[in-house]
Amino acid sequence: MLTVVLISVAVVVFFAGIAIRLMKTLQMPAHLRWELYPIPKGPRERQRYGGSYFEESDWWTKPEDSSHKSEMVFVVREVLLLRGVWENFRPLWLWSWLLHWGLYLYVIATMLGMVEVSLPAGSNSGALHGAVVHGYRTACFLGLVGAAGLVVMRSLHPRLRPFTTRIRIFDLVLLGSIFATGVLSLKMGTNGLVSMVRDLSGFSSYFGNPPVVWRVHLILVAFFLAYFPFTHMTHAYMKYFTWHDLRWDDSPSSRNPRAAKALAANLQRKSSWAAPHIASGNAATWSEVVSDPNGNGVGKRA
Amino acid sequence: MLRPSDIATQSGQLSKVPAQTLLPLPAPYDDFATLAPRKVLDPKVLERIDTSLDGFSALGISRPLTPEDERQLVDRFLSGLEKLLSKEDNWAFLKQLQLSLDHCARCQTCVEACPIYTGSGHDEVYRPTFRSEVFRRLVNEYGKPQGRLLARLKGEHIDLNAATLGRLLESAYRCTLCRRCAQACPMGVDNALLTREIRKLFSMEMGIAPKEIHEKGSMLQLRTGSSTGMNARAVHDNIEFLDEEIHDQTDITIKTPWDKEGADVLLIHNAGEILAWPENPMAFAIILEAAGISWTMSSELVGYDSVNYGLWYDDAQFARVAVKQAEAASKLKVKKIVLGECGHGHKASMVTADRILTGDLSTPRESALVLLRDIVMSGRLKLDPSKNNFPVTLHDPCNIVRMMGIVEPQREILRAICPQFREMTPHGVNNYCCGGGSGFAVMSGYNFEDWRFSVAGRMKLKQILDAFDDCPSPDIKKYVCAPCSNCKGQFRDLFRYYGVWEKSGILYGGLAELIVNAMSDISEPFIKWEFH
Repeated sequence: MLTVVLISVAVVVFFAGIAIRLMKTLQMPAHLRWELYPIPKGPRERQRYGGSYFEESDWWTKPEDSSHKSEMVFVVREVLLLRGVWENFRPLWLWSWLLHWGLYLYVIATMLGMVEVSLPAGSNSGALHGAVVHGYRTACFLGLVGAAGLVVMRSLHPRLRPFTTRIRIFDLVLLGSIFATGVLSLKMGTNGLVSMVRDLSGFSSYFGNPPVVWRVHLILVAFFLAYFPFTHMTHAYMKYFTWHDLRWDDSPSSRNPRAAKALAANLQRKSSWAAPHIASGNAATWSEVVSDPNGNGVGKRA
Repeated sequence: MLRPSDIATQSGQLSKVPAQTLLPLPAPYDDFATLAPRKVLDPKVLERIDTSLDGFSALGISRPLTPEDERQLVDRFLSGLEKLLSKEDNWAFLKQLQLSLDHCARCQTCVEACPIYTGSGHDEVYRPTFRSEVFRRLVNEYGKPQGRLLARLKGEHIDLNAATLGRLLESAYRCTLCRRCAQACPMGVDNALLTREIRKLFSMEMGIAPKEIHEKGSMLQLRTGSSTGMNARAVHDNIEFLDEEIHDQTDITIKTPWDKEGADVLLIHNAGEILAWPENPMAFAIILEAAGISWTMSSELVGYDSVNYGLWYDDAQFARVAVKQAEAASKLKVKKIVLGECGHGHKASMVTADRILTGDLSTPRESALVLLRDIVMSGRLKLDPSKNNFPVTLHDPCNIVRMMGIVEPQREILRAICPQFREMTPHGVNNYCCGGGSGFAVMSGYNFEDWRFSVAGRMKLKQILDAFDDCPSPDIKKYVCAPCSNCKGQFRDLFRYYGVWEKSGILYGGLAELIVNAMSDISEPFIKWEFH
């Protein structure tokens, strides 16, 4: 029962944490452009070499390519294959790929497990059950090897070691422990994930008296869920912003009517920077700072 | 092994940057003994300024004399940090900053992409994640509630003292903001953006910035109209002189149009070209007149200088200059602004300022490379490629190529008019920075130039030499086409430092000059093959 409560609380913290982070990001002021090529947009030939609409004469008179298909293809390839790491840090790739796929399969197996327990009693779900059990087993195995490999890499590789702190090792050990206890619980003859899902769905009697290792596994999962939103691991979904919203956002204001409105609001914000050439002294708006004709700090107030 | 927390070490220098470990160059540049000796700083100067990062000084940061001075320095930094993380003071870049602070996996996937780190022979002090991680930890520890406790628990504590701040600021001027590392990051984290934000904090809160890009740069530009110090009268006189030069060299009579209301094109050069490389504005005038373009220059304050140094270090300076340039165009009611061969001027005006230049200030802005491509490919000029029958390679200015995606127009031109055109490796959006980016090309600091040439420009020099490895003899004259004033400044100084003109016969210059050199109607070669 305790584990069910813990998991339930953790799930609430997990989604609340994610929602808060998303809201905070969405509520940030309209920013200036800072794109970086290549950007997966526009004609394929131009994408091949990383070109942009700026290559066209009178570009502002041409229609904008607003398709996100190439962006999606890029993201899927990056998520599935970790191409960035493959191209730029090959020795890290295998372990990172194993850990990521361990996590992906764990999530997929959990979802399939939820489907399985929601089926009416007596349904023939043999194939689904097999997918859950094998998916879960594979997830735990891949994740454990990946996490262990990354701990070794972070501890020994000269490129990683100077930047490896307690918290980096802690994150990996936490993930590794989840996968390790998952593997152990399977060894002990449980059907692992399905029983967890059943427990969470109110079928707590299904498993009877679970072994300690399974309880430990659930407690670790609960801790991870509650911890995740406050770590850099949120890159899993925040990449939408770092890629789509920043790196790939080359949409000009002339095609974005909301830009002028957002700008007007931003220019009325107060600037309090204190350097002599700004010296806005908590009073000047950005509009006043920018219109300072000689950059001599006319926004300065007595 | 250098750890981020080592930045707070009270005494000593974090790196000596030994010449023997620098990236090897091909012969005859492979003998480290032939490198120009580094400038030895006067002991009195060394006592006064902080060179404890790597022995070099870009800013001449004064060491605090008393504990009270140090406390004030730290307090001012913390005050700036708070503003950097606020919606009011940093609305323009808060999202980029916050996301790059929060989502680094410390995977070091980006580090090999950095030409300074690799050019230095992997000196840890130049690792692109070093300053980012230091800054990230300072933000987490000193800019967030419970930060100090969490930093200790995580093992990420860094002392915040004068040594930390002095080295952090100098370190922010060991990155050219080329953003190759950002390209490599699987998370979308941008170390260059963090570098710029560090520079910004020091400039906008503490008034500390390199004098070459602040006092003698953006402040001078806002006061006189140009970072060169040329006022409208001076720029008129200089351009008039160039018009005469055009006549003397080519027999073509041109009177550069000024303040022509309703012109199709307002051409804004980097004004430094007019003084340092006058052949470039001359070439533009010849091409535009020959192609029958309706064009003008502006004598409005800042309207004749496309530079915008604020892009590298200060939002207020950046916005002030961008608005002035747009006002000049708006006043003349031109159809578009065309940015001359100036990389950061391109990005500042066409990209970063895009969302501040709305309404009356929204005159469309276009790259000169695109206009030149249209003119060349339209057949409006009679061109004879055999006049350019010498080895030519192309340098891709980071701001124009990686940050704007303008890759092909300049190549279309070169393929059409330069029979011996060859690419560098890598090129296009994957190019290496010239080593003079983000203001370095105009900065000399105390002994900063030694670093700029021996470390920052090393990878680019290797690339150039490799591109011409089939014709290394100085008797075969070769041309690096660099359509960016800042990059040309770096090449001028870099080539002089290594003796590249004498040893390899490699000259640098702009794109417009190559076009004019190929014009059939001009009998004398426009490119003079004289190093300057």
